Amino acid sequence: MEIQLKDSNTSDAASLAVHKSPVVEFLERFFRSNSAVIGLVLLLILVAAALFAPVFAPYDPYESNMPNALTAPNSAHLMGTDELGRDIFSRILYGARISLVVGVQAVSLALICGVVLGAVAGYYGGKVDTVIMGFMDVMLSFPSILLAIAFMTVLGRGIDKAVIAIGIVSIPQYARIVRSSVLSVKENVYVTAARAIGNGDGRLIFVHILPNVLAPIIVRATIGISDAILEAAALGFLGLGVAPPTAEWGTMLGSGRQTIFNAPHIVTFPGLAITMTVMAFNLLGDGLRDVLDPRLK
Amino acid sequence: MAKYIVRRILLLFPVLFGVSLATFMVMHLFTTDPAEIILGQHATTERVAALREELGLNKPIYVQYADYLSDAVRGDFGKSVITKTSISDELMKRFPATLELALAAIFIASVAGITAGVISAVKQNSIFDYGSMVAALMGVSMPIFWLGLMMIIVFSVTLGWLPSSGRISIGMTPEHVTGLYLLDSLITGDMEAFSDALKHLILPAVALGSYSTAIIARMTRATMLETIRQDYIRTARAKGLSEKVVIIKHALRNALIPIVTVIGLQMGSLLGGAVLTETVFSWPGIGSYVVEGIMASDYPRVQGAVLLIGTIFVLVNLVVDILYSVLDPRIQHS
Repeated sequence: MEIQLKDSNTSDAASLAVHKSPVVEFLERFFRSNSAVIGLVLLLILVAAALFAPVFAPYDPYESNMPNALTAPNSAHLMGTDELGRDIFSRILYGARISLVVGVQAVSLALICGVVLGAVAGYYGGKVDTVIMGFMDVMLSFPSILLAIAFMTVLGRGIDKAVIAIGIVSIPQYARIVRSSVLSVKENVYVTAARAIGNGDGRLIFVHILPNVLAPIIVRATIGISDAILEAAALGFLGLGVAPPTAEWGTMLGSGRQTIFNAPHIVTFPGLAITMTVMAFNLLGDGLRDVLDPRLK
Repeated sequence: MAKYIVRRILLLFPVLFGVSLATFMVMHLFTTDPAEIILGQHATTERVAALREELGLNKPIYVQYADYLSDAVRGDFGKSVITKTSISDELMKRFPATLELALAAIFIASVAGITAGVISAVKQNSIFDYGSMVAALMGVSMPIFWLGLMMIIVFSVTLGWLPSSGRISIGMTPEHVTGLYLLDSLITGDMEAFSDALKHLILPAVALGSYSTAIIARMTRATMLETIRQDYIRTARAKGLSEKVVIIKHALRNALIPIVTVIGLQMGSLLGGAVLTETVFSWPGIGSYVVEGIMASDYPRVQGAVLLIGTIFVLVNLVVDILYSVLDPRIQHS
C-alpha cells in the first residue's frame, strides 16, 4: 500500500502525463464510489462478527434455557431469546459464519465450473458449444431456487450440500458471461499473435483470454454471493438447508415462524441480518461494476 | 423475423425434452423408495416388491422415462403416492391460484416500479430519488419470505387489517369460471367475494412483487435518465409542450422497450418466488404443492409440479423474447 502511494506521488510529481499504476487507479476509483465503500464497510463488519463471534457473543448460541424462552429484547438479551430460550444475538453472530461461508463457497464452485465450461464453449464453438450451452439452457429453464430445492431433496440437509446445490444451479450464469466475453476477445490480434508463436489452447484460454474478461466475472461473482446467501436462507427457511440446531439465519426464520404471533422478534432479527449481508454484496458489486467497467452499467 | 420465431419455437422441443429428462433424473436419484413410503416402514418385503411391480419401478430406467414422458405429453403426471389423487387434476386446480398471485404481483410491481423510476429520473438527486433507490436496494436484498412474515406481523397481527393466509374466507369461494377469484367474482357480480379475495391477495402479491418492483424501478430510472437527455425531448420542450406530456408521451414511450423486457423476464422469476411466498401465506398454488410434496417425500408430485413450472418458465421466456423482437425491429437475429 505504502509503496503504491509513493509510486503515485512520484509519478504525479514527475509528470501529469505519466499513467498511474493500475492498482492505484483502481483504489482511487473504488474509494470514490459510495456504493463500493458502504458495501465494503458493511462487509467488514460482517466478517468481524463472523470471525470474532466467540468474543462478541454474550451467550453460548446452542445453550437452551427453557424458562427463558421467547423473551422480548431486553438489556440481558439484546435481540431477545428464541423458542428454546437461546440468545438470538449470539446465534446471529455465529450465523454470519455460515452465511458467508455458504455464499463464498457456492460461488467459488459455480465460478470454477462456469469459467471452464464457458471458456471451452466460447473458444471451441461448434458442437462443443452447442452441447455445453444446451445443458446450461436446460438448467436455466427452471427458477434457480426450485432447482436448488430439487437438489437438496436428493442430497439431504447440510452446509456442504447446500453449497453444492446452490453452486450447481449458479453455474449457467457464469458459463454464459464467460462464453460471451471469450467470443468477443478471441479474435483479437493479441490472441492471434499468441497463437502464432505456438501457444497451446489451454495457455491461450487461461493466460491470454481469461485475464482480459475478468471485470464482468468479478462483478457477477460479487452479486452472485448475495444471490447464493438468499438461496441458502430460502432453503433453510423451507427446512431443507442446514439442519438445526446449527445457527443459520434462514433456518432460524423457518423455526421462528410458528411463534410470530406472540414473539415477532424471533423472525425480525435474522431477516435483518440476511438483508444487511445481501445488501453489502449488492452494493459492493454495483460499486465494482462502476469502477471496473463503466460500460456495463 | 418469421424465421427467427420458427427457429425459437423449434428449439423449444429439445429444451423441453431436456427439462423433462432433468426432472426425471433428479427425482429418480431420490433415496427413498416410493413403494416403501406408500406402505410404511413396517410393510413386508413381498408387499413392497408387489407394489414396485405395480408402479413399474422394476422396469429399466429408460423404459420408466419413456412411460413417464408419453404420459406427461398427454397431460398425465401420474398419481400422488400419499393421497392417491391424480397429480394433473391437482395441478389444474392449483394453477389459477399461482397465476392470479403472479399476475397481481407483476401488476403491482409494474405500476409501482415504473412510477417510482420515472419520478426518480425526473427529479434526479432529490430526496424522492434517494429514498426510492434505497427502497429498491432493500427490495433486491430482502428475502421475500421474510418480507412476507414482517407484513403478516404488521398488517395481520398488529393492525388486523388483512388476513395472513389462504386465498379466500371459508364459504366465500365464487362460482368457478376461470379459477381466478377476482375475475370470477366480478363476472358473477359477487362483490363480497371480490373484496374478500382482494384482501387475501394484497399481502402475498406485494411480497412476491417486491423484488420485481425494485428491478423495474431501477431499470426505468436508468432508461429514463438516458432518454430525457435526448435531443427530441429538448425539441418537445421547446415546442412548449407541458412537462407531463413530454415525460409521459415522449420520453416514457420511447423508454418502454427495455422496461417491458425486464417486466417479461420478471414473470419467470416470479415462479421461483411463488414457491416461497405461497409457503409463507399458505396460498394453495403450485409452489406450496411442491413444498408439501417434498415434506411428504411424494416424489411424483414434486416431479409433476417441477416439470410444469419448468415448462411455463420456458414458454414465458419464449414469448418475452418474441415480443421483444416484434417491439424493437432494430434487434437483428442471425
